[in-house]
Amino acid sequence: MRLGHLLVRQWAMRPGRALATVASVAVAVGAVVATWVAADASRSGYRRLTEAIEGAPSIEITSEEESRFSIEDLPSLGDIPGLRAIIPLFYRPTLLRVGEKRVREIAMGVDCSTLVDQGLLTLAEGEPCIAPDEVVLDQGLAASLKLGVGDEVLMFARRGIKRMQVTGLAESASLATFSAGGGVVVEIAALSDMSSALGLVDRVRVVLKPDATRSQVLEAVADRLPASLSAEVPAGRASMAEDVLHAADLGLDFVTGLTVAMSWFIVVNAMLMNVTERRRGLALVRLLGGTARQLRHTVLVEAALLGVLGAIVGAGLGLLAARPIAAGIAGALNAPLTEFTYDPVIVWIAMLMGPAVAMAAAWWPAREAGRVELLEGIAQAPPPPARGVSLKYLLGAVSLWCIAALILLAVLLELIPPRASVPAGTVTMLAFVGITPVVLPWVSSGLVRLVPRCWWIEARIAHEQIMRQPVRTALTTGVLVVAVSNGIGLGHAIRDNVDNVLDWYDGWMQADWLVVQAGALGAMPPQAGPDAAAIDTLAREIPGVAKVEAIAVATGRAAGVACVVVARDLPGPGSGLPLDAIGLDETEAREALERGDAFVGTALSQKTGIQPGDEIAVEVYGRTTKVKVAGLVVDFMSGGVAVHVSREAGRTLFGLDAIEVLLVTAVPGQAAALQEPLEQLANEHGMLARSFAEMQSMIDRVVQGIVGSLKSILMLGFVVGSLGVANTVTMNVLEKTRTLGLLRSVGMTSGQVTRLVVIQSILLGAAGGVIGTFGGITTALFIQISSQPLLGYPVQMSLRPGLIALNLGAAILVTAVAAWLPARRASRLDLLQAISSE
Amino acid sequence: MAVLAAEHISKTFGSEAGAAVGVQAVRDVAFTVDQGTFLAITGSSGSGKSTVLHMLGGITRPSSGRVVLEGVDLAGLDDEQLALLRRRRIGFVFQRYNLLPELSLAENVALPLELDGKPRAFCREAAMAALEQVGMDHRADHRPDSVSGGEQQRAAIARALVTKPAILLADEPTGALDSANSKNVIELLSKLVLDDHQTVVLVTHDPTVADAATRVIQMRDGQIANDTALPRTTGVAE
Repeated sequence: MRLGHLLVRQWAMRPGRALATVASVAVAVGAVVATWVAADASRSGYRRLTEAIEGAPSIEITSEEESRFSIEDLPSLGDIPGLRAIIPLFYRPTLLRVGEKRVREIAMGVDCSTLVDQGLLTLAEGEPCIAPDEVVLDQGLAASLKLGVGDEVLMFARRGIKRMQVTGLAESASLATFSAGGGVVVEIAALSDMSSALGLVDRVRVVLKPDATRSQVLEAVADRLPASLSAEVPAGRASMAEDVLHAADLGLDFVTGLTVAMSWFIVVNAMLMNVTERRRGLALVRLLGGTARQLRHTVLVEAALLGVLGAIVGAGLGLLAARPIAAGIAGALNAPLTEFTYDPVIVWIAMLMGPAVAMAAAWWPAREAGRVELLEGIAQAPPPPARGVSLKYLLGAVSLWCIAALILLAVLLELIPPRASVPAGTVTMLAFVGITPVVLPWVSSGLVRLVPRCWWIEARIAHEQIMRQPVRTALTTGVLVVAVSNGIGLGHAIRDNVDNVLDWYDGWMQADWLVVQAGALGAMPPQAGPDAAAIDTLAREIPGVAKVEAIAVATGRAAGVACVVVARDLPGPGSGLPLDAIGLDETEAREALERGDAFVGTALSQKTGIQPGDEIAVEVYGRTTKVKVAGLVVDFMSGGVAVHVSREAGRTLFGLDAIEVLLVTAVPGQAAALQEPLEQLANEHGMLARSFAEMQSMIDRVVQGIVGSLKSILMLGFVVGSLGVANTVTMNVLEKTRTLGLLRSVGMTSGQVTRLVVIQSILLGAAGGVIGTFGGITTALFIQISSQPLLGYPVQMSLRPGLIALNLGAAILVTAVAAWLPARRASRLDLLQAISSE
Repeated sequence: MAVLAAEHISKTFGSEAGAAVGVQAVRDVAFTVDQGTFLAITGSSGSGKSTVLHMLGGITRPSSGRVVLEGVDLAGLDDEQLALLRRRRIGFVFQRYNLLPELSLAENVALPLELDGKPRAFCREAAMAALEQVGMDHRADHRPDSVSGGEQQRAAIARALVTKPAILLADEPTGALDSANSKNVIELLSKLVLDDHQTVVLVTHDPTVADAATRVIQMRDGQIANDTALPRTTGVAE
């Protein structure tokens, strides 16, 4: 490269400029690496969090005809990556008899010893069942029946009564993945034989490895299945977990996308300044016969070299920053980080990204360098940049908004997946940065009026300097626009969603005490427990109890999709309904429920197209019943994939009798006194009694964990923004050395120069904050609209002045702090050197 | 034989940018320059002399008329071809020297050859020869900021000569120098014309500098007011 030595000399002569450029790339690459690794840590934390609810992640294979199918129909799946185990399952309702006690139960046929060997089923005591007359019982069920290992129990089957020996007791939580709520485990061949269905299975559960991506495995499995079989994510706990993961993933994707955009602005800005500062030198080379191609080539090669250096430094810094962030996120999600791991691919991509982004960012400055006016090379001072901006910025921004709106519309119409809204959101943000040069003059001059009169001169000059470089100012401000938009947009989206969930819980669980099946909190597996139907009557008899509402839950299928069916006592008139029915008032909803009509969760409606007025077939325990849909409900139970009916309808339509949850409201002042009798009652029925406050705190912990993790990543955005601004202001000072020297030479004091630089930076921060506020509100709307297909309903957005003020304040503070060092440097310039600087 | 010809060139600034009324800096200027001529273009500030020089050097294009250098019409060249022409056939000297501060004097002088892809050793050798020609070879490895203004201008002249250009264009080359250094620079240019038959076109507002030329064109209000051939050998008037 002919101009290589010129580059090297320039770096040696102006190391500050070269270092600032490298630092920009390093900050950008570091931000992307840190955000990416932190987002991965969050995803992994969410996964562990949801696995704790769901059990091991799995998918389920069932017959399209909603009936049993032969295991012979199942193709070989063992070679699909990410599979941990393939478990055929056979269920049948049964009755257990111990002495005079009879308990209705769901028996599960499974290869028990294999499950135990693979660690998928944990026995608290005893051995797995192997022989046809052996049974493993749920630990809670066994306790309530007062059975232990070695005891015998009578089991009613199609072929009569069979005496079974209890060989082991299973931990309730580990049964959740397979049991469909049942507490009785029998060897699969024995159970299917007892049901005269040898060789048939109800479903096949495919358990995934922890690092497998469920959607990918689901696709691979579905591809192999014959037309008579289908694969899906199991209903109940799993779908809730999956939806939580999707929504959180979308948020993380937004943060990562915006961080990449912010990094892009930082690098483009650095490259632009790097070239602009040398404009005169480049013009001179051009004057001496350098071709435009030679100059472009030189600038691009320089960008690549600085990019490589920046990427090396940035990747290292990013990993260093990611470690505490990941640990913090893991802590917030209550999923301790045992070992800090990251995908090396991230580092490689970042290493490539550095030079690639630097070169891409340098392309426009390089092109401009090639087109530099020759007369600039011989001018005493560079000509003032053209003031004002053309209409093209505005048109460009409007075009980008139109593109983003079209993508959003396509997402809403479900023509493209919700994830496509991430690049669209980034495009929207670019448009906000695009209109920055258009609105900046008004914003900046408006802000200058707020500066105290005693600093008016500094403020005016700062404003003028900002206005002289509209494009560069837009890019600097762009970093802040993105950071503030990130903070306000995601902050609103997170708070609105969290409030929505908490409001739902508040409405759904109005009680002082909850009595729930073990392991069911927040997940609701269906029926289990002896004499469960009687527990609500017993609870009502406890002194101090004002009201008892019982909820029964079962897994089932509606319109061919796995779902949960929820049957709940209706509170008396005037007490409010625990359902948030869309478009119906309480009286209409109550009448519909009393008629035996059903309400369908928004997510289930979204998945199946079920609409109010439809009659749908709902299958529970192998029994299919038609039910009329009265309306849709916003629902967080099982992620909204649920059918809600009155308790009476649950009994008569689906035989859904066993109680999953009891909501107990105490007579005022008696809540604490209910603890002992409720715990005793729960104990006798293999259930748990929890206070509402305890439940609330558990929900708060989960919610705060997710909010905390997203906040950590947002904070990272602000840190990156501040580094970007600090770097830009430093480069600005370097570039304006001559101007600042001239100002000093005509009598400006060092204090005034310091204030000038700081005010200039604050103006940028405030302008970025103001524009970013609009960007943030748009982002919040964007996230909420784009997550509608995931959630099945629109989340109400509410403006939060506190959050906006916090972000605006942070932007101004960050820029003021970031400008301090460059300002000090500017105030200490050597006058002679400064005014002779080119 | 004419090395350079300005054929009725005019230049209006501002008209390209869509201004309602442009500023006409040069109006219908025509002249030719023969090989070995030392032409001085003089005039007061704003007379259009520098604009004429810029058009002669292909730095800016005439609004009308054409410039022909060694038979090549500059209007027919695109920007890249013009760059090659400037690199190989035109040498520039400016009032503020315009040396790249990052490079040594020798590297500055070698730059046009480097841009042309010549071998590095050749470039160094040619640069040293050019510096020797202007009496600056002993300062070859100094940076511009470590030598005086007069020495910087000598190095700038060496850079203009290193490609053995058809014409050397100098824009107020003594404008930033004291009288002693001015005299040295003009003597150097005169010597080039006399000894090497180098063609030099110089713009100046200083009559003593113009007196060293073999021909003087005086400009006023963008037009040639006077074109005089001086009947004496080049040299600096005392």
